[in-house]
Amino acid sequence: MSVPRSTVELSGVGKRYGRKHALADVDLAFDHGVTGLLGPNGAGKTTLLRIVATSIAADSGQVRLLGRDPHGSHADATAVRRELGYLPQELGYPSDMTAFGFVEYIAVLKEWNDREHRVQEVRRVLDLVDLTDQATVRVSRLSGGQRRRVGLAQALLGNPRLLVLDEPTTGLDPAQRADLRRTLSTLGHRSTVLLSTHQTDDVAALCERVVVLAGGTVHFDGAVTDLVATAVGRVWLADEPGDDVMVSWRTGTGRYHVVGGTPPAGADPAEPTLEDAYLLMLGPDAQRIRAPA
Amino acid sequence: MTTGTQGWHADPELLASYLAGDLDAITGASVEQHVSRCETCRTAVSHMLEPQLVERTWAGIRDAVERPPLPVPIRLARRLGLPEPTAVLLAAAASLRGAWLVGAFLSLSFATLAAYVSGGTALAPFLLVAPLAPVLGVAVAYGPRQDPLEALVATAPFGRTRLILLRTIAVLVSVLPVTALLGLALPGPRWLAAAWLGPALALVPVLLALAGFVGPRVAAAVVLLVWSSVVVASTRGGLDPAWPVEAAQQGVYLALAVAAGAVIAVRLGIDRQRGVAL
Repeated sequence: MSVPRSTVELSGVGKRYGRKHALADVDLAFDHGVTGLLGPNGAGKTTLLRIVATSIAADSGQVRLLGRDPHGSHADATAVRRELGYLPQELGYPSDMTAFGFVEYIAVLKEWNDREHRVQEVRRVLDLVDLTDQATVRVSRLSGGQRRRVGLAQALLGNPRLLVLDEPTTGLDPAQRADLRRTLSTLGHRSTVLLSTHQTDDVAALCERVVVLAGGTVHFDGAVTDLVATAVGRVWLADEPGDDVMVSWRTGTGRYHVVGGTPPAGADPAEPTLEDAYLLMLGPDAQRIRAPA
Repeated sequence: MTTGTQGWHADPELLASYLAGDLDAITGASVEQHVSRCETCRTAVSHMLEPQLVERTWAGIRDAVERPPLPVPIRLARRLGLPEPTAVLLAAAASLRGAWLVGAFLSLSFATLAAYVSGGTALAPFLLVAPLAPVLGVAVAYGPRQDPLEALVATAPFGRTRLILLRTIAVLVSVLPVTALLGLALPGPRWLAAAWLGPALALVPVLLALAGFVGPRVAAAVVLLVWSSVVVASTRGGLDPAWPVEAAQQGVYLALAVAAGAVIAVRLGIDRQRGVAL
């Protein structure tokens, strides 16, 4: 093939749990940079990330990671996993392990066999997530946000070329989010970073590209600014909530932020946010405004 | 020298003797107290030290504080040549820690004692416990199938299957010699000391094969129930106390082990999720 391959290539990928389609016929390709997966619960975000993280196999379609079939041969799977960092949505920690011990354990599983290099790398990633001072604390004694950062630290081991993060910002405070943003933007220069989140703020702050998933299918795939642009002319500020609108809520100024539908009388057009665009995409008229591929 | 006196500083000879460890205990402690509070003297001390030495010492201290100590059995294995990365992996398995091994050893000891005191008629406790000790050890080392940490283990290049097999071997290596030694204390024919190995070595692959389908907990429960039934039934049925480990039964165990091994091998071959066949 003459066209250079993307780091992640999914074509016609489907996955079913029982009778439910978690993913149906998904075509996506990812390269360098940070991509955010947005979507309501049950949209298929976690399933998609688990497939890219080689944790589960797709039922149908083709998956190629770093130019290899992750379920083709043992050698291919191992080669992909050597370049992979993965933070699952939920991560259990052995109760008596310290933050350092946990990350070191994962480092050994990632074949950091030289003791000195491994210790240095573990310190580096713990420092990246601002946990150097908590390195010797048992994970069971850390707060939820700190535990999430321990999970993040192990995913960053070895600056992986493919980084898959399932809801990495859960439990992080604004300062830690800012740190994560810095870390990911540096990594995004040479790595493919895929992350899922419920929060449009995270996508706006962290990602260049956004994929909106709903009901197991891709509803939007493009630049964050392009998604925002789909909401232009469909967001208003009004004095009343309106009857025939998709959604509206009262803002701090006392006026109503109105999204979609027919604006109430006297409404002023407003600058749309990513959240507005996302809501519109998931709303009843999501089909009509589906962005061009 | 009086600590706490403003403006007083330790002279270079005193500091040099302190660093060389030549001072007596009281003077040394006083200098240390003073240096910890006096920035000028601390700076003086830092100039007198070799930077590499400080670096090395600090690295050593940090290492000792940061890295959790390995459990005793694993430290022992390290001395015998176990590679360091493998030691880190094994240390994370609950059944390879001291407490579990002591528990296994104690239950085996009691079972041996019962057999010994009864003059060989109460062989059932030993035959019950000896093959189950490694099985339970492996089940505990396996880790729960649905453990969210397994998502990480399964997607690491090392691979989940390899990790489980490594831990299985480690459990066998730590439990079997002890059981074999205790077996020597059993009254009755000499072959009895080794006869329990048959079921023990068969039940472990059966456990692994089952665990691949239903998870280690259910698999361990099934193995435990089946083996207990065999031992109890042989006792109730008025059979010879050594019946569960007699030659004909050993053939059955061998067949079971081969079958379980085949199941594992087939799954390793066909499993689509590489590295998670077990």
